[in-house]
Amino acid sequence: MLNRIGYVLRETWASLRRNFTLTLAAIITAAISLFLGGFFLLVQYGVSNALVQLRGGVEVIVFLRPDVTADQQQAIEQVLTDSPQVVEEFTFVDKEQAYAEFRQLLSGSPGLVDALPPDQITPSYRIVPATDDTAVVDAFARQVATIDGVYEVKSAKEIIEILRRVSSVARAVTLALSVALLVAAVILIWNTIRTAMVSRRREIEIMKLVGATNWFIRVPFLIEGILQGLLGSLLAWIGLATTNWLWTNRVPLTDLDIDALRATSAQFNWVVLLVFVVGGIVGGVSSAFAATRYLDV
Amino acid sequence: MIKLENVTKAYSPEVIAVRDASFDVPKGEFVFLVGPSGSGKSTLLRLIAKQENPERGNIWVAGRRINDLPGSKVPYLRRNMGNVFQDYKLLPNKTVFENVAFALEVIGRPKHVIRQQVPAVLELVGLAGKQDRFPDQLSGGEQQRVSIARAFVNRPLILLADEPTGNLDPGTSEGIMRLLDRINKTGTTVVMATHDQRIVNMMRRRVIQLDRGTIVRDQARGVYE
Repeated sequence: MLNRIGYVLRETWASLRRNFTLTLAAIITAAISLFLGGFFLLVQYGVSNALVQLRGGVEVIVFLRPDVTADQQQAIEQVLTDSPQVVEEFTFVDKEQAYAEFRQLLSGSPGLVDALPPDQITPSYRIVPATDDTAVVDAFARQVATIDGVYEVKSAKEIIEILRRVSSVARAVTLALSVALLVAAVILIWNTIRTAMVSRRREIEIMKLVGATNWFIRVPFLIEGILQGLLGSLLAWIGLATTNWLWTNRVPLTDLDIDALRATSAQFNWVVLLVFVVGGIVGGVSSAFAATRYLDV
Repeated sequence: MIKLENVTKAYSPEVIAVRDASFDVPKGEFVFLVGPSGSGKSTLLRLIAKQENPERGNIWVAGRRINDLPGSKVPYLRRNMGNVFQDYKLLPNKTVFENVAFALEVIGRPKHVIRQQVPAVLELVGLAGKQDRFPDQLSGGEQQRVSIARAFVNRPLILLADEPTGNLDPGTSEGIMRLLDRINKTGTTVVMATHDQRIVNMMRRRVIQLDRGTIVRDQARGVYE
């Protein structure tokens, strides 16, 4: 048994060295493909985390005119109260509160704060929508905008839409590239194994003649393929860890109010696990195909 | 040990390599398959080793019908037979010892068995002391001895030899034949395809003659003609 393991390891190592350039190409292709696949998943997680955060916050803000009368304000509140199917709850932010928030937001630029007098700040209603249906929220926002005393209705839906659109394009591109490269990796690993088998056809012929089982002949090639896939996974892991670290520590997401736009560490670990599993399977399956197809050399 | 019954092998409808061949080789016999190139000698050996499958007829090896032997069992059939070829089929990057050991290694024999059996068989074929040479440092006759050692190291029941003296001069060929005769005397059944008249006439063993795939003569203690 030990003898056999020794044999398999020696043959695998010799074969990896013999086809170094082909092997390297296969590993790099697998690595890039797995990296993009992992990146796709991380973006997916990040975006969905960010969406959860945005939905939980205020989505619609009704800005009032600075000169709004108490009657107008009463009418607006009435509309909000009468629409429980759209408005889950709303809060009133008066001039002073809004100004305080404004000062805090721009605390880094005192000049800007001074340029805007407190009486120019508009009071507002912040609304938590009762529904995720953006069409309904949108229609409601348009309706409220026509009420006297309303200056403007802003919906956080816009930022969500932009996020969705950008991420869906990014995701489609990474996914397509990842799949295309995965196919390339399969073909390259398959080709490396085939070349390895052709270059050893005399040995294989003799092994078959003296009664080596097909599994005995195949196993070194299978291990070689799986190893190539796993080495690709290893490189992809390094790439993903670096990217994730840079994104978390070097990009100021908090300032952009999208600090949830990242994968949690549990999600990251899950992606890495997946990258290794897929890498191993891709290597194993491609070499198994080659080893079965070219055993009759 | 080997039995063929109305065996026909066709590579295509026009190319019939073996036609309706029947013969029975008892254990321990030495048989020559003779005939010109393309008469079907090699195909018969390949059929016995199950490297080819017949279109019609039955083949038994060591009491077992091998026609529908599943592919997974073929390796175990081959462990009972050694194969020797005209071109030796040695691995150039392995030494004499490693070439012979390879045959045991790949069927999972433990190291201590290999260390014991390989020198013994090299001694038998007359290559003691040359076990660390590479094939290209040996003469043709010596290379064929390595190949015979590899075929015999697992002590098979049957030895199949396809033109083993085809590349050798008469003197060297005689040495190889004496070796095959010695192996035969240990009880191993030997089937040898050849068109070397001199050797067949010298040995005076059973001769099965083929002509365009058909057995035209099966004679005990025969000559080439």
